[in-house]
Amino acid sequence: MSFERGDGLDVATELIEDAPCGIAVTDPDGRLRYVNKTLTQWLGLPPGGDPSRATFASLLTGPGRIFYDTHMAPMMRLQGFVREISCTLDVQDGPPLPVMLSGVARRDAQGVCTRFDYTVFDARERRAYEEALRRAKREAGELAAIVSSSPNAILRVDSGGCVRSWNNGAVRLLGRSAEQALGRPVAEAIQLLDRPDWFMREARALQDEAEISFEARHASARDFEVTLAPIGERGLPGASEDWSVILRDVTRRKQAERRLQVIFDEMRHRMKNTLGVVAGIARQTLPRPSAEQLVSRLQALSSAHDALIRPDDDIGSEPVVEIGALLAFSCKAAGGPARFVIQGPRVRLSARQATSMSMALHELVTNALKYGALSSEQGQVRVDYTLDGSGETGPFRLRWREVGGPPVTPPTRQGFGSKMIGLVLQAELGAEVRSEFAPEGFRFEVAFTAG
Amino acid sequence: MTAILRNNVDVDGPVSAGPMVFVHGFGCDRSMWRDVAPAFVQTHRIVTYDLTGMGGSDLSAYEPRRYADLQSHADDLLEILEALSLRDVCLVGHSIGASIALLAANRAPERVSRLVMVSPSPAFLDDAEAGYRGGFGREEIEGLVGLLEENQLGWSMQMAPTITGQPVEAPSTETLTQSFCRTDPEIARHFGRVTFFSDRRADYERAACPVLILHCSDDALVPMNVAEWMRDRVPDATLEVLEASGHSPHMTVPDKVVKTIRQHLGTA
Repeated sequence: MSFERGDGLDVATELIEDAPCGIAVTDPDGRLRYVNKTLTQWLGLPPGGDPSRATFASLLTGPGRIFYDTHMAPMMRLQGFVREISCTLDVQDGPPLPVMLSGVARRDAQGVCTRFDYTVFDARERRAYEEALRRAKREAGELAAIVSSSPNAILRVDSGGCVRSWNNGAVRLLGRSAEQALGRPVAEAIQLLDRPDWFMREARALQDEAEISFEARHASARDFEVTLAPIGERGLPGASEDWSVILRDVTRRKQAERRLQVIFDEMRHRMKNTLGVVAGIARQTLPRPSAEQLVSRLQALSSAHDALIRPDDDIGSEPVVEIGALLAFSCKAAGGPARFVIQGPRVRLSARQATSMSMALHELVTNALKYGALSSEQGQVRVDYTLDGSGETGPFRLRWREVGGPPVTPPTRQGFGSKMIGLVLQAELGAEVRSEFAPEGFRFEVAFTAG
Repeated sequence: MTAILRNNVDVDGPVSAGPMVFVHGFGCDRSMWRDVAPAFVQTHRIVTYDLTGMGGSDLSAYEPRRYADLQSHADDLLEILEALSLRDVCLVGHSIGASIALLAANRAPERVSRLVMVSPSPAFLDDAEAGYRGGFGREEIEGLVGLLEENQLGWSMQMAPTITGQPVEAPSTETLTQSFCRTDPEIARHFGRVTFFSDRRADYERAACPVLILHCSDDALVPMNVAEWMRDRVPDATLEVLEASGHSPHMTVPDKVVKTIRQHLGTA
């Protein structure tokens, strides 16, 4: 294709001046000889340019000027061109303009450099996209660094259960190099005792949960906490459904736990033995009614210790007691469900609270049997309790109401049982205690913060 | 690996002639000296080499921690002088290469007897407290490091042919890719930082041998006041201002550079 004769020069001039790209020509030492209209406008310069910006480098921002002198100028001389250089124009009274530029060196017949020609393209969109890419790459790099330096084994497992990635932590923890593990079924690469096909089993069991976690012993006799979580969007057509599997070495913790359990069992055993011995001494030392009274109190104390359990999910914390277990035990001797109506949520008490509560409950039961509702056949005790807040601890309030018993007359003096209740609940626990000798039945209320 | 192999050393000229060793600057490699060094080949033993990490040097030798200190490049240079058993050496350095040459001269004055510095700068960063205007602020240098990240100058293209199965050396690919000044982008960024954040004013002030400073009248990287600072503060320094623009007179006006060096070396 060629221009119409006569139009050629005009079209060519317009093409160069108004080209959709900037065009600049310099001497080999970088002095500007020509700048087209497009580039002049981009730079915000007056027509004809600005004498204070007489070199190609002066059109660029500071970093670009350095790059021109250290890289572009030498390259133009040594290899005769530069291509796709990303840099930024220093725009007069405006924001810097990201551009992509290419240049070519022109030589005369003797091979001497005579001028440099540059084309300059607006690269705002491209720069924004590249910046986003670089940021993503940096972030990915940071994450990768975290994964690779983690002391935990972190792996990616595909939906078929085969290992896709294996970090340094896995190499250290499992003594197997990435080459030895990649591509192999994960349940084979990591053999857990008594869990032959653990990955597929757990993955199937996961359903809609965010992750699943369990503890298992490795073939190397180490204990691991294993966490499985799906990676990426589930159910997206064509998307891979991979899994992250993280193994944390919990061998030391498990050993400590086992030691603690042994100590704990031993303590409980000794405590009960001691109480048994004390009960024996009491029987031999005190008059029979007093001895029986003391022994039954000791049994209440002992039962509180029996009820002490440790929550599985909070190993290492203090032993705790569920109030329901305590009530059931205290009420059993006095007729159990036939005489007691108990209502309330799960509440965890600390060991101290449990001991005090079991002593107090014992006194309440004993009094009810002796003087209260339980002394008549139709009488009942209704126990209901509430807990404020979520979980199993928090502000706790228990109400004890006796109904259907003989009419109540307030005692003329405070018996030992009442003193004991005040002592263990108020003095020991700082609980708020209220008792009322209502004619239709004795009432009692205690409130403290459980847990 | 010996220093000779590591730094892609090239030696030319009569064995017994006075040695001239050329040290290139940041951004390129020893090919920058191609219009200057050959001019001395009749009268001098000419040595050019690539700084570790640049050009044809052994890139695996570039340990970032070690080369965070410019002195390591100077130590490499001294290893080369030792390997070639050169004494009474004239070191010719461009830009940061001039600072490297200076550090080598200060450490081994028994080997180096003259320094020729082409467009040197003891520090590119401004130091307002000391009233020193190096020409650049911290932000501009950070911006340069960003530019180096964006402009890999064919580094990724160099890797491309091996993926499609073509040998890298095939002439067709070589002429298409930007082969000069091609540097591992990681090294380029690292060396860019080392170069432009380095402050060697104290070393310039105790130069151990006579120094010839060539400065372009219109250098965008090194302001005239820096050249004057060197003239006033560097012991036994001579400043020659070349009527030229740019930071690389050895490429733009090589004849002037050769002539000025000859005059001062007394071999005109």
